[in-house]
Amino acid sequence: MELEAVFLYLSAALAVGIPALATGWAQSRIGPAAAAALAEKPELTVTVVLLIAIPETLAILGFVVAVLMLMQGGG
Amino acid sequence: MSRIRMLGPREQLQAVLERVQDLGLVQLVEPTETESLTPLGLTPEQERHVRGVRKIVKDVDAALELLGETPRPTRVAGELELPQAALIAGRCRRELEALAEQRQQLEEERALILKFRPFFAAFTKIGESGLDLDGIRVFYLILKEDGEEELRRMRAAFRQALGDGFELLSQPSESGESAMLLAVPSADGAKAEQLLSEAGVQALSLPDQFEEESVGGTIHRMQARLEKLPAELAAIERERKRIAGERGRDLARIQATVRDLLATIEAMEKAVVTPRAFVLEGWIPSAVRPDLDRQLGKSFGNQIEIEAVSSEEWSGDTVPVVLKNPRLFRPFEAITGMMPLPKYGTVDPTPFVAIFFPMFFGIVLGDMGYGTMLGILSLILRIRSKPDTKLRSVSEIGIACSLFAIIFGFLYGELFGDLGHRIGLHPIIFNREEAFFPFLGLAIALGIVHIVLGLLVGAVKMFRGDKRRALGKGMAALMVVLIALALMAAFDMLPERFFTPLVITALAALPILIIGEGVLAPIELVSTLGNVLSYARIMAVGTASVMMAVVANRMVGAFGPVWVGILFGLLFHLINFVLGVFSPTIHMLRLHYVEFFGKFYSPGGSQYQPFRHWSARESASAERSE
Repeated sequence: MELEAVFLYLSAALAVGIPALATGWAQSRIGPAAAAALAEKPELTVTVVLLIAIPETLAILGFVVAVLMLMQGGG
Repeated sequence: MSRIRMLGPREQLQAVLERVQDLGLVQLVEPTETESLTPLGLTPEQERHVRGVRKIVKDVDAALELLGETPRPTRVAGELELPQAALIAGRCRRELEALAEQRQQLEEERALILKFRPFFAAFTKIGESGLDLDGIRVFYLILKEDGEEELRRMRAAFRQALGDGFELLSQPSESGESAMLLAVPSADGAKAEQLLSEAGVQALSLPDQFEEESVGGTIHRMQARLEKLPAELAAIERERKRIAGERGRDLARIQATVRDLLATIEAMEKAVVTPRAFVLEGWIPSAVRPDLDRQLGKSFGNQIEIEAVSSEEWSGDTVPVVLKNPRLFRPFEAITGMMPLPKYGTVDPTPFVAIFFPMFFGIVLGDMGYGTMLGILSLILRIRSKPDTKLRSVSEIGIACSLFAIIFGFLYGELFGDLGHRIGLHPIIFNREEAFFPFLGLAIALGIVHIVLGLLVGAVKMFRGDKRRALGKGMAALMVVLIALALMAAFDMLPERFFTPLVITALAALPILIIGEGVLAPIELVSTLGNVLSYARIMAVGTASVMMAVVANRMVGAFGPVWVGILFGLLFHLINFVLGVFSPTIHMLRLHYVEFFGKFYSPGGSQYQPFRHWSARESASAERSE
């Protein structure tokens, strides 16, 4: 495999991996707070689901960028 | 929603309220003007009566909660006698509270004994030998699984402090922990306590009733007690069931009657009177107003006058809201209903949700096989659910989503992933396994349509009030479209010659946007463009779903024997189906609540709660929550 291709795949992996880690970190902070809030106010379910889903945008956009990189790079 | 005022002779107030309660159409409120009218006060005797009714309500509510059942009320002709009702409610509450207390005590006792359970099996031999504990103090200890090292250290510490004057027996228990018995001379008890505290080991304290002279005796008594407890708990449950059987329906009837009575009393407090007349005010959905006129006319002739209160008189008040949608859209009120209700006079987003939610879901799941599975499950749920319940709404939303998933599955040529391609299905619009760019383009295009629609709905809504902001919203929608078209021209999806005019038009529109929405409008516009990008999740989640299905299909033949591969493949498809239903639901909800609703939705409406019979309200709320 050529070095260029190695860097392409590595960059694509980082483009999706780093945002995924960031998402995981954000959700790990939101999750316990959300669970505690739900224990006291179950009516907040929708807000809690939304709050947990919001950081997923990072991973999703990372995934899109990775796909774009692979497609543009001919991977 | 209409605000109405009802006027009539004072002596008819009680009868009118009862009729209004029967009809269950009007949400009563405090009248707007009370200058020449006085609130209807209560005589001391009436106040006593009200206190009595409130007491019965408290008793019967508590009794039914302790009963844990909601029996149907008994149907007995004639009126309920309040003293009799008070007696039944009070007695049932006391009996049920006593039972609940007994049950709690027994459960606490069981939990306490269960803490000693590791000792039962571990020290059976000691139990049998009847070790004499005269002058000996015994500590019951539990050590975690990896407590070997700790045990060694404890033994060394005790040897150093007490020499050979102690006995430490350790046995592994069934749960993997170590059950330990520490026996020291009574005189060294305090010293042993201190050593245990230094080692960070807490001794289980023996309940008083089990203090015996031998370890074996204690353990035997605990075992015997543990065996007896289920029977005692069952006896309490039998007693609860007896009360439920004998008095449950009576209690339900009492609750319905006294709750109605209380509602009438509270409604009376909202009435204002002159020496001869009364005035009541309330909200009623405009569509059912003629029903009220007709029914009250039938019951009271022309004694009752109903008039509409002009909007100037109630402009500052909160108007209750009731969502009203065509039958096809109604199940989607469950999705709108998860948000606070929209303010009166603003837009109910349910019709938009009913169109876009299942469509987006279908675009993401887009598989004829998974769509059919979801359809079958939704149909079963629909058959098993009762009408007008939340479960029924969910099942109908599921059916709509499954139909869209089948349609888009057909367009993508997908049946359980690429299995469709293998049996001759061909993609009509694009193949999701390869066509990332077209899929991303479709997702972003849908985002533009959805967001622009949201902005336009917001502009139309604002047009009646704040025309400047309405213009700003409209301009934001235009800017989103212009920027999208300019980007298309820049990336050769439109002729290049369009690029410059589009950019100039967008720049020209910017000052109008700032005039309409303020200086922060450009930042808001950037955030709106971010919202559009968020729709890329339609492509991302959809691609992930199809790739998982493809992986599942490739498992056949990848694990040696074909049947193993098929088994793994089916399992993987099942997991993908669950994820494929759950994940788009969450993401599409987010797209609606955050991106779409954010453009026009005004929460803060209060639920329309008509003055009606308790039983009607109860059954409605039970049906909603089911």
